[in-house]
Amino acid sequence: MEVGLFVPCYVDQLAPAVALAATTVLERAGCRVVYERDQTCCGQPFLNLGRVREAARLARAHLARFARFEAVVCPSASCVATVRRHYGELEGVDDAGGVRERTFELGEFLVRRLARVEFGARFPHRVALLASCHGLRELGLGTPSEHAGATAAEPGPTERLLRAVEGLELVTPSRPDECCGFGGAFAVVFPELSGRMGRDRLRDYEGAGAAYVVATDVSCLMHLDGLRRRLGQGPRPIHLAEILASAAPS
Amino acid sequence: MSGARERILARVRHGASRRAVPPNPPASSPTVAASFADFADALAAVGGTAHGPLPLSTLPGLVEGALPVAARSGRRVVEATAAAWLPTGGWEVLDSNVDPCSLADVRVAAVRGTLGVAENGAVAVLGRDAPNRAVLFLAEHLVLLLEAGSLATDLEAAFRSLPPDALHAHHLTWISGPSKTADIEQVLVMGAHGPRTLQVIGVETEG
Amino acid sequence: MTLPLDQRARLGLPDAEAVARHDAAVFDLRRRRDEAVAGLPEFEALRARATAIKRHVLDHLDRLLETFESQARAAGVVVHWAEDAAGLNGVVEGLLRERGVRCVVKSKSMLTEECGLNAHLEARGVEVVDTDLGERIVQLRREPPSHIVVPAVHRRREEIGRLFHRHLGSPAGESDPARLTEHARRSLRPRFLAAQAGITGVNFGVAETGTLVICTNEGNADLGTSLPPLHVACMGIEKLVPGLDDLAVLLRLLARSATGQPITAYTTLLTGPRSGGELHLVLVDNGRSALLGSPRHREALACIRCGACLNTCPVYRRAGGHAYGTSVPGPIGAVLAPALVGDASARALPFASSLCGSCSAVCPVGIDLHGQLLAWRRESPALPRRLRWTALAAGALMARPRLYRLAGRLARWTWPLLSRRWPGNPAAAWLRDRELPPHPGASFRARWTRRGSAP
Repeated sequence: MEVGLFVPCYVDQLAPAVALAATTVLERAGCRVVYERDQTCCGQPFLNLGRVREAARLARAHLARFARFEAVVCPSASCVATVRRHYGELEGVDDAGGVRERTFELGEFLVRRLARVEFGARFPHRVALLASCHGLRELGLGTPSEHAGATAAEPGPTERLLRAVEGLELVTPSRPDECCGFGGAFAVVFPELSGRMGRDRLRDYEGAGAAYVVATDVSCLMHLDGLRRRLGQGPRPIHLAEILASAAPS
Repeated sequence: MSGARERILARVRHGASRRAVPPNPPASSPTVAASFADFADALAAVGGTAHGPLPLSTLPGLVEGALPVAARSGRRVVEATAAAWLPTGGWEVLDSNVDPCSLADVRVAAVRGTLGVAENGAVAVLGRDAPNRAVLFLAEHLVLLLEAGSLATDLEAAFRSLPPDALHAHHLTWISGPSKTADIEQVLVMGAHGPRTLQVIGVETEG
Repeated sequence: MTLPLDQRARLGLPDAEAVARHDAAVFDLRRRRDEAVAGLPEFEALRARATAIKRHVLDHLDRLLETFESQARAAGVVVHWAEDAAGLNGVVEGLLRERGVRCVVKSKSMLTEECGLNAHLEARGVEVVDTDLGERIVQLRREPPSHIVVPAVHRRREEIGRLFHRHLGSPAGESDPARLTEHARRSLRPRFLAAQAGITGVNFGVAETGTLVICTNEGNADLGTSLPPLHVACMGIEKLVPGLDDLAVLLRLLARSATGQPITAYTTLLTGPRSGGELHLVLVDNGRSALLGSPRHREALACIRCGACLNTCPVYRRAGGHAYGTSVPGPIGAVLAPALVGDASARALPFASSLCGSCSAVCPVGIDLHGQLLAWRRESPALPRRLRWTALAAGALMARPRLYRLAGRLARWTWPLLSRRWPGNPAAAWLRDRELPPHPGASFRARWTRRGSAP
């Protein structure tokens, strides 16, 4: 299958290794990865600030750019949630080609679309899962702890992929899906509260014995990594794609 | 004043969209028979104590034993509709319209409950059985006498099972355990303002 | 660039220890809610019903209000209408003055907090005693409640001990919650007996029967309405339910969502006054009808004030309720304030969220709270000016791929400079508690190009 690789602006600029890892994993899964070179931003930061004019303009460009792909895959849950869940709230954004419904978060695409969880990855470390809020509550990449059936629920795609990684031990923090405090503009408009939230998450993961914290959103990880490096301690943030790409297939 | 009423209603009328009534989803709970044991468990979880069910004939002798030690002395009152279920001595039967402030020193009050709810330990007390509503909250210890078969599984079933005149006498009060608060550091304390203990005595009226 | 909430959070919860304690105390309510929810297989079905009921209420609010009013009147309730805070305060003041009432016991009512009723009455010589223990604590401290269900959750037992020592004569050094509660009980009982009127809020009004429903755990509203001859109930016009079946559904959700209890200790349905007593009801608008007329935002009126969204909100738990500067804090406060308060500070509140969506996931009446926060941001002119310019510039940049790439190269060159703290650094807010990521090297696009040219 040919997939369009949707590389969010901040991944392109600040975490290129994540998009490369995503490419590796998709190719291992048998996909032909195509990168549209004029990508910029899906519009999420503008939506979050309530700037719908800018967001709509970027949304139209985004949908046109990816119209020809059978599937669009992105290593960032919040950007996927923007396309799939929030583009519909924008006036003048017409998705006649159905791109929104064909846009997937990486792990979701692998598990739900390709029905694959095993990629021969090896990662012999204790890892805590940071269930990125948008992935969890807007894309359904797991069952949120608020849900009545949370304790008995089937694991979502992110967790299933991690459980199939050789040597990886998933540890459970005391609050499995509390927000890390990034929240886009929130992180810079309310830096103190954002910092309080993030440090609490790091402590919780550390208390659970995690050496790494894995997420499906690079933004959450950059925020936590920035806090960790200021503190001088805490588990290392890593993206799901980087773990899945961590060893060659056997 | 009426100007305010008209202006508010006009704005509300403008704002209300009057969409067609959505089909009411079916009742969310199955109607099954509730057991006194389930009710007793729920009551215990909210800090109350259930006794029985006790046969009606043995009740006068057993009520005393059901009371906590702190409730075995002091002024005891009973509302008229529960008086027949209690021993004749020691209980002051209340008239229907006593000055509520004169009840401030009541140690134990006994009142008839109409219906218990197995999911939450609540008992419905109707105005006709508790015309002196204040005594429900002034008494240090409250005793509710309930026919053991008068139970509903959950609150929805309970509301459906209430007698048609349940709202006719000023109040209907669901009481679930003693008065409580957790306003200081979330530490649960019984007896915030009202009863420190709640006893519910199941009464076996048949056989 | 920070908004006042960040600064006020520092005032309310000044250090890491205070934040941690507040967060833990409030999250404990969320945990209890989860346990209660897990024990109720039909919870999600109940939530769906509650959502449909409240939507129906808002759709038909005018008719329900008329039915409710006429049924309440038929039962002997005197019904008043108040358009705003001044209207409510005036009606209550008048009722008390006509009867020569000088001392009043009051149970918790977020509506009267919203309208500033206490201050209004006190300024006119009426002694108002808040009787909910948490409300009493904040009243004695002369501060507003910080939570709508547990008003004094931001105070430690030692602080309350000192407060009670000073005001209620409890022994110095006493900080045991049970003994402090007993002191409050003993000091309040004579107030109940001496009060000439009781003021309460209303949790639900049942339209079909004209019934007022009041829920408490302490029984304070019940003492306050069964002892004095006059009961004044203050109710927002949105608090209606059509009938008793609907009431039952909402009652099954209210306490479970609030504290994890299956129901509050006392759930009192009052239909008409007691014999020999008076029951006055004030129906208050104060911005609600206008909000109802805003299709995009009206769903916030479905709120039943359970507090679940506060308890789950990671921002509320670390900011404290006072930081919001509104009578109702937390996510629901931040979506009501722009409509009901409307000043610049209130309009900025929708930005005080990381949009994690946990609030929407716990709401028992299905309010899309984080969707509402986003919706308000779209209408809010409260975006800080600098952020507005940044958004404008970034919007122009992102619409032009070549300009976007140029900006990326510029950022790479200046990365070492951006990573250091210096006055005027555009990354200053990020750098307050965090480091910038290490220099990322070439962009993904550049690497892809290289990859493509590799054999």
